[in-house]
Amino acid sequence: MSEEAGVVIIGAGVNGLGTAYHLGKMGYDDVVVLDKSYICSGASGRNGGGIRQQWTSEENIKLALESRKMFEKLNEELEQDLEFYQGGYLVLAFDEDESKDFKKNVKLQNSLGVESQYLTPEEAKEIVPELNISDVVAATFNQTDGTIYPFKVVNGYANRVREMGIDIRDHTEVLDIVTEGDEIKKVKTEAGDIKTDTVVNAAGGWSSQIAEMAGAEIPNKPVRHEIMVTEPYKRFLEPMVISFKHGIYFSQSEHGNVVGGMGNPDEEVGVNQTGSLWFMKNFSKTLIDFIPRFSGVNMIRQWAGLYDTTPDAQPILGTVPEVERFYQINGFSGHGFMVSPVVDKVTAELILGKEPSMDIDRLSVDRFEADDFEAEGAVVG
Amino acid sequence: MVDVGGHMPERRIKDHPVLEFERGNEFYFDYEGKKVKAYEGETIASALYADGLRKFTESKLLERPRGFFCAIGKCSSCIMSVDGVPHTRTCVVLAKEGMKVENQGARPKFPFIEVEKGKRLERDIGIAIVGGGPAGLTAAIIAAEHGADVHLFDEGDKLGGQLVKQTHQFFGSHTEDAGIRGIHIADELIERAQELGVEFHNRSTVLGFYPERTIAVERDNRFEIYNTEGIIYATGAIENFLAFENNDLPGVYGAGGVQTLMNEQGIVPGEKVLMIGSGNVGVIVSYQLIQAGVDVVEVVEALPEIGGYQVHASKLRRAGVPINTRHTIKKALGEEKVEGAIVQKIDENWQPIEGTEREVECDVICIAVGLHPDNEFLRQAGCEMEYIRELGGYVPKRTEDMRTTTERVYVAGDSAGIEEATVAALEGKIAGAALTEEVYGSSKELEKKKEEAKKSLEQMRMGPYGEAPRQGVKMCTVDEEVC
Repeated sequence: MSEEAGVVIIGAGVNGLGTAYHLGKMGYDDVVVLDKSYICSGASGRNGGGIRQQWTSEENIKLALESRKMFEKLNEELEQDLEFYQGGYLVLAFDEDESKDFKKNVKLQNSLGVESQYLTPEEAKEIVPELNISDVVAATFNQTDGTIYPFKVVNGYANRVREMGIDIRDHTEVLDIVTEGDEIKKVKTEAGDIKTDTVVNAAGGWSSQIAEMAGAEIPNKPVRHEIMVTEPYKRFLEPMVISFKHGIYFSQSEHGNVVGGMGNPDEEVGVNQTGSLWFMKNFSKTLIDFIPRFSGVNMIRQWAGLYDTTPDAQPILGTVPEVERFYQINGFSGHGFMVSPVVDKVTAELILGKEPSMDIDRLSVDRFEADDFEAEGAVVG
Repeated sequence: MVDVGGHMPERRIKDHPVLEFERGNEFYFDYEGKKVKAYEGETIASALYADGLRKFTESKLLERPRGFFCAIGKCSSCIMSVDGVPHTRTCVVLAKEGMKVENQGARPKFPFIEVEKGKRLERDIGIAIVGGGPAGLTAAIIAAEHGADVHLFDEGDKLGGQLVKQTHQFFGSHTEDAGIRGIHIADELIERAQELGVEFHNRSTVLGFYPERTIAVERDNRFEIYNTEGIIYATGAIENFLAFENNDLPGVYGAGGVQTLMNEQGIVPGEKVLMIGSGNVGVIVSYQLIQAGVDVVEVVEALPEIGGYQVHASKLRRAGVPINTRHTIKKALGEEKVEGAIVQKIDENWQPIEGTEREVECDVICIAVGLHPDNEFLRQAGCEMEYIRELGGYVPKRTEDMRTTTERVYVAGDSAGIEEATVAALEGKIAGAALTEEVYGSSKELEKKKEEAKKSLEQMRMGPYGEAPRQGVKMCTVDEEVC
């Protein structure tokens, strides 16, 4: 059996399904979305749901700002409450260097339309009264940042995409991408071949593997990041609280549970999605240092997901030099959810040959070859 | 039902043909500003239940009433705030004089609890056994008899697992403990393990498995870490549930929960019980309810015939309890608690027959529709799992020695597949012997005991009732080389 599709999207996470959604919205439904596991099984279903616009690179700030505006309208579009709670992001500085950078960041963010503020530790404590500020030097805060419930967003896209007549095939692993010269011919799956000339690589932590199948090279490396959830409580925490120095972030969901994660600086590259004892020990200790009253709270679950990391911690978008019509939408380095609305829309526009609504040329994979990139400084977790 | 003090029916059992309830000292604790009577040895949930409380908490999202359900710390339907600690599972915590218990509602306030600061407990130990039921206890005994350093972890205050609520006599031609009641078997096993120096870790919830056989444990609000030489999982089973309208109302209970409340704590669940399911558990618990003086109004069974042993079913018939096969429950009636039920007939294709709906007067609906293995830990430990219908759900692949596909991780009892307590005890013996051999070296005596247990197990599964598990076990047992 051989079938055809105009576009094959690999990965049924927020960016794969979001791209399918925008293609459908633009009137194009000859699309098949494939995933080797279930919908939302990768990082889309394993992240903390943070929506942040306080970045240090111009590209990320622009993507995040536009995406936040799109998230604000997404309830209406997907016809359900996605639990987008704009309690802000409180970013804490623990030394003078960080504090200096924060001032610079706020200036850049403000110049691009993000209304972040620079705060004293006392002002930070007014926002989170439980916060231990004994080592805090400064903070920044942006009210329109917040959190969203990732599963509802992804399932919302999946429902709309199906209504549009687009086929989502879960538990269908891609085995190979067959090319001739610089053209894609077909995608081989464990359930048969699909003829196509256009493939979207939205495979998150597995993106480099998928690229290799098509004979393309991207520098992405999967790295495990861990996260946990506590028992539910009445809301006592308005913003997401983060520290780059400690690598920690935590917020309280609309359900009342506190969701938080922390990166391990010694984490090795590789596909590993199991929870570690290191995380249990170190996350709980750090969390209690930040908010001592957490010592009386139980965790109910821990889990892990993959950051698809790039050398500059910024995504890889657009086409590749080796193969035509092989679109990348990966390498998000831990912030793929929060910038998804705009990058999904732009990817759909590029596929259909439309004028992109935002210039993303600087985020193509070429930047690494040309050695023309600057690392994003505000990565957490 | 005996009426004491005018209005309140006495829910604590006084006279019982089989059991004797030796209640400890009487004392009082505080529930929402009201004094509640309790006896030493009663859990908070039991004392509140005896006092007439039905709604224990609310669901987080729908804010519907939640009551007592499983009674063994697995379902979280009875969580309350106890002395300022929210989310306390009141069914596994003993009531204490002067305790302050509050309904925490759908979402409690962020707690203010002073947790004592100190160094985290981290210990290197020999064999860790998770679960102190028949499988865990026999595993602990055989390992300790052969010099192993054995640590037995259990969530509850008391060991014995579900044996402690089994007041009926065990039978079967080859059963080692035939004729003895479950509660007495548990006492003997606990005593033997204690004599042998097994270290008991009560009120200890094993939270997780980490590489190189480290386990994380929560005890009295503290996080403990144990690095082990080998682990035996014997965490038992979880009750199956049924989908019907209003099935979350307080008053809809698992049969195991009813047994715990009635046979262990000596408190009757209500006045009129509708039993769903006529398997062994359904008919035995129905009979135990009658023994405790409770009216069993009806037993409904979806299958065309009664599933349990005829001996027990006949006892029910003699007591005048109708057993209606090809029937199911359609909905529970009531707003805050069960006030009745609608049952109806089903056809050969399991479809409800319209027009056969009938209202049943009851204040308790007891669900006895089987169990499934509780073995999430094994999944976390990376054990290969397989769905085996005959064993009640997902079970780990294992060798005849009960070794899983993860090194030095063994399994025994219902968490390896739903069977009976005697099977659990034999599997515990096999797993305990095999892991001791692997960690401490083999001996002729140990080998002999292990092989004897395997033979007994084979004989246990010989009868007609052993047909399904015999097939199931065959499907998930793999060769030594695979593991």
